[in-house]
Amino acid sequence: MNNRIKEFRARYNLTQDDLAKKVNVRRETIVFLEKNKYNPSLKLAHDIARVFKVHIEEIFYFD
Amino acid sequence: MKKSVIALIVAALVLTTTFIWIFSVSGPIKPMEYVSLGVIIVVVAFALLLGYKRLSSAKKGEPAEDEMSRKVMQKASSLSFYISLYLWLAIGYFSDKFNSETHTVIGAGILGMAVTFAICWVVIYFRGIRNE
Repeated sequence: MNNRIKEFRARYNLTQDDLAKKVNVRRETIVFLEKNKYNPSLKLAHDIARVFKVHIEEIFYFD
Repeated sequence: MKKSVIALIVAALVLTTTFIWIFSVSGPIKPMEYVSLGVIIVVVAFALLLGYKRLSSAKKGEPAEDEMSRKVMQKASSLSFYISLYLWLAIGYFSDKFNSETHTVIGAGILGMAVTFAICWVVIYFRGIRNE
């Protein structure tokens, strides 16, 4: 599974730290997500999508 | 926060016990004892690293553990348990061959399990948990 978190983060001018705090995870989890080294739970994916005000499938997608 | 303090206390206790053991040894230290000492230091360093990571997260206002760290811990635990079964099998086989004392065998097994867990954690953490 791939994602566009970095792109959305840049669009909303958020740092990894800011996003981590908004979704209540560690910054390293955001780092691993952006590197596609970790697949989030449905809850985390939902929380991230809610921060960016989009549907989950706009951020997370399969090749 | 509580867990990290406990990890730091346990690490300090292990280090203290190790130093008491070293200073109570009469005569020169045997090569195998150097190996044990090295392994103990690696395990303690690993525990200190985990404790430090948790404490620094707590200081930054982040959760001490989140879903990724929990998942890495669960995967490392299950994998190291599986490997440890074979480790004990190997230790049982070699202890028969070398006529080792019981306390040496148990000590080697426990240290081996700790090292196995540390290695599994490092491998899983750096490899990541992807599509499964």
